Amino acid sequence: MKTFDTVKHRIPRRESLDKATGQAVYTEDMKLPGMVYAAIIRSPFARARVTAIDLTEAEATPGYAGALLPEEVPAVRFNCSGNPPSALLYADEEVLTKTPRCQGDRILVVAAESAASARAAADAVRVSYEKENPALSLKDALKDGAVPIQPHLSETNVINHRQVEQGDVDAALGSSAQVAQDQFSTQLMQHVPIEPTGCICDYQDGQLTVYSCSQTIYQERRILAELLELPEGNVRIIKTIVGGGFGARQQLHAQHAAAFLSRKLNRPVKLIYTREEDLTASTARHAMEVKMRLGADASGTITGADINLWADSGPYTTHTPTVVAAASRKFHYRAPHYRFSGRSVLTNRAVAGAFRGYGNTQATFAREILMDRLAMDLDMDPVELRLKNQVQPGESFPCASMPVTSCAMEACARRCQEIQAKIDAEEGLRWDDEVRQAWGIAFCCHGSGPSSKEGLSSALIMLNDDGSANLLVGSCDIGQGSETMLSQIAAEELGIPLSLVRIKAADTLLTPYDTGTFGSSQTFVCGNAVALAAADAKEKLCAAMEKLVPGRKAVWEKGRLRITEPAGSGSPEHRRILSLAEAVRETMFHPLGSVIVGSGCYKAEHSPNPFSVCFVKAEYQPAIHGIRLLHIIEVADVGTPINILTVEGQLEGGIAQGVGYALYERLEYLPAMGRTFSTDLLHYRIPLMADMPKLHVDIAESFEPTGPLGAKSVGELSTVPVAPAIVNAVRRASGMEITKIPLCDEFLILTGREEIK
Amino acid sequence: MESNTITITLQLNGSEKQFSVDEEETLLEVIRNRAGLTGTKRGCDSGECGACTVLLDGRPVNSCCVLAVQADGCQVETIEGLGQKSAPHPLQEAFRDAGAIQCGFCTPGMVLTAKALLDKNPDPSREEIREALSGNLCRCTGYAKIEEAVLLGAERLKTAGQAAKGGNRHENL
Repeated sequence: MKTFDTVKHRIPRRESLDKATGQAVYTEDMKLPGMVYAAIIRSPFARARVTAIDLTEAEATPGYAGALLPEEVPAVRFNCSGNPPSALLYADEEVLTKTPRCQGDRILVVAAESAASARAAADAVRVSYEKENPALSLKDALKDGAVPIQPHLSETNVINHRQVEQGDVDAALGSSAQVAQDQFSTQLMQHVPIEPTGCICDYQDGQLTVYSCSQTIYQERRILAELLELPEGNVRIIKTIVGGGFGARQQLHAQHAAAFLSRKLNRPVKLIYTREEDLTASTARHAMEVKMRLGADASGTITGADINLWADSGPYTTHTPTVVAAASRKFHYRAPHYRFSGRSVLTNRAVAGAFRGYGNTQATFAREILMDRLAMDLDMDPVELRLKNQVQPGESFPCASMPVTSCAMEACARRCQEIQAKIDAEEGLRWDDEVRQAWGIAFCCHGSGPSSKEGLSSALIMLNDDGSANLLVGSCDIGQGSETMLSQIAAEELGIPLSLVRIKAADTLLTPYDTGTFGSSQTFVCGNAVALAAADAKEKLCAAMEKLVPGRKAVWEKGRLRITEPAGSGSPEHRRILSLAEAVRETMFHPLGSVIVGSGCYKAEHSPNPFSVCFVKAEYQPAIHGIRLLHIIEVADVGTPINILTVEGQLEGGIAQGVGYALYERLEYLPAMGRTFSTDLLHYRIPLMADMPKLHVDIAESFEPTGPLGAKSVGELSTVPVAPAIVNAVRRASGMEITKIPLCDEFLILTGREEIK
Repeated sequence: MESNTITITLQLNGSEKQFSVDEEETLLEVIRNRAGLTGTKRGCDSGECGACTVLLDGRPVNSCCVLAVQADGCQVETIEGLGQKSAPHPLQEAFRDAGAIQCGFCTPGMVLTAKALLDKNPDPSREEIREALSGNLCRCTGYAKIEEAVLLGAERLKTAGQAAKGGNRHENL
């Protein structure tokens, strides 16, 4: 087992006390001189045409400062996705629109001298609409004669169809001893970061500065520069402290509207969403229909998999075709015959975009429920069936080009079984007329960095003459702890204490390029860049020290330099050890002096898969048709956990989002209303502390050869197996087959941990 | 939009402060905009998330749902009053040490709610902690480490209290 000085320890994140004492500055906490406050007027209708905008009353509101109308922004379409440029990111969104295609579409923006007066001015704007019939389901959008939502992209509302195939799936399934098949429905889910979305845009003299909660600052710089027709260098994006991301900030929210308004008013513009806007007018997790068939022979060897899915994109493309493509790459069982067909479909429901799991969540949901049915049909243990078919290092997933480089799935499963056995020994498994308890399981994988291998990151390490190091990265810490984690990698690689590494991150003027915080990429992609920068700094310091005295040898040893002077060089010591501070000082202040800046750039050639196993203990109470979650175990293979505390936190937080997804979270549409009424946190419920079952998380021993210090990712992985494991526990406890979530539609959801008497 | 301006007095983090406020202004707005104490967070403006929790005469309240005039004459404690970075409160340190802080947006409200609990009940059960903190939403942590942080904070406060008591007894001797 490899040991480390700084890495693989439990290290509280370094900005903790700033946050715990209220000193951390989030976007809404900032105030620039002369700043005005903006509010967006959004469409209340899922599909309509704006016939008139009347500002008369708004202009009379005290503190009114101006407005930005649809005709005042360029009539160009763009894609808000914070992914690097791709042919799959179709341009179909407008900054402001007169033809809203979903509830919450941006019509115009007003500004005023205070946040309250901006809201009052927005309320006083009169917009007249001609309502049109929206497509509020995949079925509506796909039926014959459905009106195309983006006619320039598709006449059928299917904007992309991804197909990958190997072998002869129909023949394989036709001759399989067992075939499990069904169609599964998952719902629109919202990220609900506790910090509402927001930005401050300051346009002055042809320069735009944006302060915002953001996961992808360099992509946003590129898109905003294009929209405002500015050289990219004239746009600076500064990520503030971010109150949660989960994918929500992996696309532009309304920075463009605030930027155009700032340019018009010549004043900084602050735009902070209401909770209702955050729920109804940001991007959601795609609702999907997944139709799947899994075949196995009598011994439980998988023969083939046939996957058809339809993703509800809302009215704009955003990420959808890449979400669907990502879903096709997460089948981690051997399947000699494999077919994936995924359609991106436009509807007039909420705009869907990036969300932790990125397509994997929905496809794994369907697959792991079918695996459970297959295990029962074959009379096999559900763990052993899965392990029997698990792709091992050196082998590849179906239709994949790269082999798996590390996999501790079996260790994850065995550890889960140990924890399960302990719980069962303590409290047993009740099965009587009142209460039926059962365990359900699910396996999953994810990637480390985008599975399209778009990940690219860079880092700079500057060595100071006091022996400390400054680390500069473009990586966005959105609350997941990447700044502490990357500082740990730098400290470990340099061999210096963590306290001597200072980090500056995520400011496009000051820090080097990073593709963005998405695809669980920061540990693997940016972490590799940091490791390379550290290696470069060490090499450069040694070279600089050798340059000072001809014939001298300098070797880096754990944050110190071993110097061997040439014989007869007149040096007082032939061999000596210099501290980092002494060595940097000698290089810096010598007549032949130099400054040491190490740089590293990592282009992801791999996206190594982390793996996870989740066990859920649930109970069913037949008298009230109620379900309760009792225990959730999740054990993950993340390679080397750079920060154990952070990895545990990611697992626990991912479980909570999976609990909400499985039980009750949903943007709920009433067709008769033509809109969602999930507009606040009572009508869109996320798990409360009292809702959570007992959590047991652990990390399997593993080492990823391509990762920095052996690390893989954890962020998205953690949430993916939770919903299917919950459903599998509930189906075993209740005896009912389940094909859709949230489960609150079918069952009474019981919370709290106390045993019923 | 006619509105009356009213002068209120708050005992804000231990010092007396006067504010001229509009009658419809919330305590949250006064704390953030007039007092400039931005450690109190606005998460939903409707009392559902708990990010804006402050202690009003020692009780945790959603400051977005309290009119500033209702707080006239009251003691108001915000996260800034609990402890500074240079001298943090044991609960703030416990949240750090337990890994209970991720994005941190819910943290000030969580810490203050936990403080109100421990002031009343220095030795709470896990069940009591979960009940007390269920008005504060967190989307990052799954709450497990927050529960641990409150237990750790309670433990440290008890130890500190015993040490202080011990010190007093010594002086009395």
